[in-house]
Amino acid sequence: MKLFLTVILILAMNSSSFAQEKTEIEGLNHLSEYIGLRASDFSFREDYTEPDSLRLKVITELMKSPLDMIDYTSQFKSAHIIGQPEILSSVLFQDLARADQTVRYYAYDADLSEIQQSYNLHYTSEVLNQLLQQAALYIDVIIPRSTEAMFSRLSASQKNFLIRKFPSLIKIDENEVFLSVNAIDSLDKLEEEYADRFASYAYLINKDPVVDAGIGLLRQLILELRNIESLLKNNSVSISELLNAPSFVPDNFNHEFNLGKQSGWAIGGTDNDYYNGDYKFIIDFGGDDIYDLTYDPENPHPVVIIDFSGDDSYRSKSDFTLGSGCFSVGILIDLAGNDSYRAKSFAMGSGYFGFGILYDREGDDIYEGDTFLQGAGCYGLGLLIDEFGRDIYSAALSSQGFGFVEGIGLLYDVKGNDNYFAGGKYKDILRYDDHYYSFSQGFAIGMRPIFSGGIGGLIDMQGNDTYTTDIFGQGSSYWWSLGMLYDVEGNDIYNSFQYAQGAGTHMTGGILIDDEGNDTYFSKGVSQGCGHDYSCGILLDRGGNDTYTAYDLSQAAGSANGFGIMIDNNGDDRYNIKNPKNSQGYGNPRREFGSIGLFLDLSGDDQYRGNGKNNYYWKTDSKWGGGMDIELYPKKNSTEENK
Amino acid sequence: MNRLSINVINVIVKITLLFLFLFLMNNSISASSYLDKKIDSLFVISSSGELKYRDRVEPAIEALANLGIDAVPRLIDKFTTRSARERLTIINILKKIGSPAVPDLILALSRPEKLVVLRVCRALGDIKDSSAVKPLINVSGHPSWQVREKAVDALGKINDNQADQTVIAALSDSVGQVRKAAVVASGRLKINEAIEKLIHILADNFYGARMSAIEVLTKLDTTRVIRSIADSLNSANGLTGDLSCQVLGKLNHGDAHDLLIKQAASESASRRAQAAVALILSDPLDNCSVRQSIIDKETDRLVLLKINSAIDLVSLISNEQK
Repeated sequence: MKLFLTVILILAMNSSSFAQEKTEIEGLNHLSEYIGLRASDFSFREDYTEPDSLRLKVITELMKSPLDMIDYTSQFKSAHIIGQPEILSSVLFQDLARADQTVRYYAYDADLSEIQQSYNLHYTSEVLNQLLQQAALYIDVIIPRSTEAMFSRLSASQKNFLIRKFPSLIKIDENEVFLSVNAIDSLDKLEEEYADRFASYAYLINKDPVVDAGIGLLRQLILELRNIESLLKNNSVSISELLNAPSFVPDNFNHEFNLGKQSGWAIGGTDNDYYNGDYKFIIDFGGDDIYDLTYDPENPHPVVIIDFSGDDSYRSKSDFTLGSGCFSVGILIDLAGNDSYRAKSFAMGSGYFGFGILYDREGDDIYEGDTFLQGAGCYGLGLLIDEFGRDIYSAALSSQGFGFVEGIGLLYDVKGNDNYFAGGKYKDILRYDDHYYSFSQGFAIGMRPIFSGGIGGLIDMQGNDTYTTDIFGQGSSYWWSLGMLYDVEGNDIYNSFQYAQGAGTHMTGGILIDDEGNDTYFSKGVSQGCGHDYSCGILLDRGGNDTYTAYDLSQAAGSANGFGIMIDNNGDDRYNIKNPKNSQGYGNPRREFGSIGLFLDLSGDDQYRGNGKNNYYWKTDSKWGGGMDIELYPKKNSTEENK
Repeated sequence: MNRLSINVINVIVKITLLFLFLFLMNNSISASSYLDKKIDSLFVISSSGELKYRDRVEPAIEALANLGIDAVPRLIDKFTTRSARERLTIINILKKIGSPAVPDLILALSRPEKLVVLRVCRALGDIKDSSAVKPLINVSGHPSWQVREKAVDALGKINDNQADQTVIAALSDSVGQVRKAAVVASGRLKINEAIEKLIHILADNFYGARMSAIEVLTKLDTTRVIRSIADSLNSANGLTGDLSCQVLGKLNHGDAHDLLIKQAASESASRRAQAAVALILSDPLDNCSVRQSIIDKETDRLVLLKINSAIDLVSLISNEQK
């Protein structure tokens, strides 16, 4: 009976969500027809500029049909299964295919025989040894061989370029603000030269094997950890039994051949432990531990850290730590406790030519760092999954779901009232002297016009959350990329300044979807459903009494032949706009024709400061746009229903 | 003088001439190199986007424009840039130099780089010198659609009727963006001969061409447009009729109103809405006295809502004007 009710409930929920999506699309078609448009008009050509060979297939397809960004983003609601981070990782691996890629490659195929001769068993616990053996197989054999496959067609100097020069295309120097006009020009030219140099051989890099190897290792670790946890829970084994080792080991014994005792490996018990340095593998069974970690990209290797419990403090002394796959695989699994993660750059679920994941299952956690963090990917996959707890995420740049070339970066938070902040360090000297780049919270970017970008996503399933960015963030992107922010439940606050909340600039797509809750949105401009220069920006809020505020070129604004779409499905909403002449259903003329801005409110008693009003259709004096605040299918009142 | 002396003098003269030649060449190279350096230096400033250097941009653009034709070849070479800001800066400077820049730009139309050619087309369109019409007609069949688009667009901007047939031909281009450019150019050149094709384009696959055609048709011979639309209202493609209603509404003409009144009784809800709204916007004071009758006959809730929205809008405009 319970199962039957669950099935009915799931079916009812699915049909309600399906009906909602149907209404959105029907609404769009209805308004389009009124303006003189058709659904097929929402499409971009691939060849406005010369297509590059590093474009992801997903991006190519979504640019052909940008309204599909709604379905693509919505699918992430069910893409993660609690306790199984490898599933979401595998889903994202599929989307890392290049547009021209017909064959996918997988990790080096090895078996246990390749390491069994190398190690003696030090610990007596079979389950622990099983986990260690699996880890060793990947760390010693599969991942290094897969990394070799990734770079097998590159010369030494090309590899060195990736280590030493390429990061400068992702990082920003704080001192740029003090440069002269000539120095800035030289810096721009140098970046262009780097980008050209990279593009000339990037197609030779095969990221598939190392990403697949990382996911394979994650899958094995999760399986073994579940086994150990279950034994501990049933009291079938204790931690001290797990860590049982021979009582006598000769002083001159060479530990290099003892599984779990080799250099770069550490196994900790329930004490408060301190780990300092560049490790390959750490498993710690409890206590409030401190990790001071380093990593040398000149000597790349896999890093696995597993911490069972305790309020831990993870600190990085160099870049590329804490679940960072740098030319390799980085996995950090923390199963319980209120933890703090403090890093420099390329950390906390960072895939830089590799696979990096930080999986934190429980606890109120704090994540803090500089650049390329908290779910960031470049030629690989970077994933931060936090399942439970009230978390604080803070970064300066390119973080919290950031995608660069051939990369996917995703931050997935399941429960808790969370706070996301990105910005405040690197000034946007091009436009302002008092605003800062964020490039975060579901943001992706390419190098215009040299190579396409990746996919950046921030998914938050539950809780009242607060999102803050400044310039570029919250479901936005730049140059052949996709930025998406999807918040499923809770009363949320979205705060930004420019290029945010469902915004695309320069041949790209950005989307923000919020399913439920009474939400508040603020951004100054080029936001809230704004597409600029052959781009599409979508803001879709499916429920709740929401408040939207913007100054200009927002709330369904198409600019320079872009598409800006804003849809609010339900609730009594309030819309405020400072300049209604270029917002709320506005299309701006460029290249001797127009853009498209479509604004839809599909139910509720709404208030407007701008172009709209309840039960109303409007066309703006623009090329081309308009809006409607109508119920396509009015709800029948109870008297009518009784009849 | 003996033979040896003559030879010596000969050699000395030749060496002197050679030095003189090298000296002049060097001066000329130095001058050209100095000019290039000056252009490059000014260009870095003129195309700078940073906020704190913005007040230096306009003086640098002016300085480059003041160099006149001497700067043109170097500026054209810079059209290979991949920076949108630099590209726009070059066009801006060339526009300021104006007609003197045209001969070099025309020469550049035969360059092999597609990017350079399409940007040159754009510059020629902005300069609006009719000596560029024939060369632009010649590139209007370029294999790159981006070049064809910019060439047709430039022909429209120059506004010389020598280009009429080229523009009409481009209305049938296989690429929507080129058809759009041809639609816009038809309006600028006021090509009445294109009316029938433009009405056909109201159902174009590319929205840019379709929506631009609505506006262009309102700029052409009203009588001919209304007559041609009357013939096309029952076209199998509903978009032609629906968008024709928008054109008729903008024409604000008695015959157009008559057609709209008929369309307001169409079987298609979409057509009724388009016609009624166009009529209301075209005749805000309801001089035709048909508004109430249309409302009374209308049974579709959403069509009625569109009609009432349009009435609200004209009332609002009327109140604002009072």
